[in-house]
Amino acid sequence: MIRFPKKNYLFKIYTWLPMLVLFISVFNEFDFNYLNIDYFSFNFPYILVFYFALKEYQRFDYFLVFIAGLVNDTVVGLPLGLSSFSYILICIFASYLRNITISPNLIKDWFYFLFIISLINSLNYSILFLFFSYELNITLFIVNNFFTFLFYIIFSTFFKRFLKSLND
Amino acid sequence: MASSRDDFVIAIRSAFLKKSTKQKFSLLTLVFFSIFIIVLSSFDLKAIRFTKSIIKEIVYRSSFIVSIPENLIISTYLNLNEYTNYYKEYKNTKEELDELKSENISTKIIRSENEELKSLIDGYSFTSNKILAKVIVDHESPFLRSIIINKGSKEKIKIGTNIYDRSYLVGRVIEVNYTTSRVLLLTDLNSNIPISITPGNTQAIVAGNGDKRGQIKYIKSELINKIKSESIAYTSGTGSIFKSGIPVGIVKFEDENSRDKIFIDFYSDFTQLKYVFAEIDAMIPASNEIKSNNQTQNTPNTEQIKLDLISDELQILQESNLKFLEENQELNTVSNELNKQIEILKIENDYQKKIINQHDLDKQELEFLRLNLIYSSKCQSKKLFSKGYKIGTPEYKKCIMRKGELAND
Repeated sequence: MIRFPKKNYLFKIYTWLPMLVLFISVFNEFDFNYLNIDYFSFNFPYILVFYFALKEYQRFDYFLVFIAGLVNDTVVGLPLGLSSFSYILICIFASYLRNITISPNLIKDWFYFLFIISLINSLNYSILFLFFSYELNITLFIVNNFFTFLFYIIFSTFFKRFLKSLND
Repeated sequence: MASSRDDFVIAIRSAFLKKSTKQKFSLLTLVFFSIFIIVLSSFDLKAIRFTKSIIKEIVYRSSFIVSIPENLIISTYLNLNEYTNYYKEYKNTKEELDELKSENISTKIIRSENEELKSLIDGYSFTSNKILAKVIVDHESPFLRSIIINKGSKEKIKIGTNIYDRSYLVGRVIEVNYTTSRVLLLTDLNSNIPISITPGNTQAIVAGNGDKRGQIKYIKSELINKIKSESIAYTSGTGSIFKSGIPVGIVKFEDENSRDKIFIDFYSDFTQLKYVFAEIDAMIPASNEIKSNNQTQNTPNTEQIKLDLISDELQILQESNLKFLEENQELNTVSNELNKQIEILKIENDYQKKIINQHDLDKQELEFLRLNLIYSSKCQSKKLFSKGYKIGTPEYKKCIMRKGELAND
């Protein structure tokens, strides 16, 4: 396990790592699209935002999440503010789950995450289709939703290790 | 029941409004803020456009920098793949190059003909100025297919500018910033291209399917059977969104027997775009128009210009007149000499004619003398009542020439 002295600069950067990864992923559209697998895509920011909002990570500033959403909209070419809206909604739902949960359970979180991303993707689809007249393929949304749900369990193990390393 | 409702309300309130020490804004504030931005961005106001343009400029540049490590890894992987197929590709490329060289010549001819015809049709000819642009962001979203290029309004790129990969169409500009632009690729679901399919010259509209291909969406049902697999699709220019005659792709059927879905395999691989060409059009008036424009610009000095032109013309005429006079004199002397020669030749001719006549006379005389020796006894009269003629008379001569036959015989 990586260990840093607690007042080291590297440690400070390490604590900001989720936010850095979030920004890198929105700037870079981290979704393995270069693998050229038909229909394959997943939304990494959704996983990251949900996980760290759920765990109430101290370095996870909601305002920076909001900014990351704006960046994502600009890079992808969506109407400005739409991703920010989605990310903040995820934060709200995660915060609600945290408040009502006494003993956290990964499987419950996982299926709650499926419900949230389905709701948010539906909202996004409706907004883009009804208000901005975008032509969208609903299959791509469903596949994206499914893979995001699948990848949550994989990434959550990495994030868990990261949080554990900080606590140690 | 009431306590569970209270718990729910508390949890909701806490989720929306509770702001921990590290958070600058509550989630509710941020939700309202994001809705406000969505609504605001849908208005096409100058200030909003300007702000959006600045944000986009900064984000695109930052995205380009952030993407460098990932792009480096991908390009290294692709380069390694390329090296393994290097020889095979080299051979294919060589063959293609030979074919293209021969095609290039005919294309040049067709292009020049096309230019001429266009200038005849509307008096204006388009000069296409293709500028090279680098693809700085190509992170395709799963739902939208677009790229960002490093050329913007500074380089006179406009919304609708056609973008090419070599000579193949890849898309059009849908958003312009000062130094960057967003290009909507042909594979995007929102992309509709009017095309002509050859052979047959069938008109259709191809839309992106969000993946790698395009799909023919609008076509007359009776024309579907006219389309063959491997037919070539190029832009028809209908609607003036794309220029006409740009190669788009090749027609492919999902199933040879049924023609429910007709696809277009685009010539260009949109996932491998590094550099593209943006075509900037400039309307240039035809030569006749230029002349007329020049004339109208110089109206204040028209009289002076006319005078200058007339004096120039006069000078030219005088000079040419002098030249003609000189030429005329030369021709006169030549003519005189020739006349003299003709005179001499005439004299010579007369002389020769005389000689020929003399020769004929001499020949006749000689013949007469020769016949006279033979037939003189028959033609001359020796006695008083005998037949014949007196020597030296024309009758005698005629008789001699008739070889002694008398006139009454």
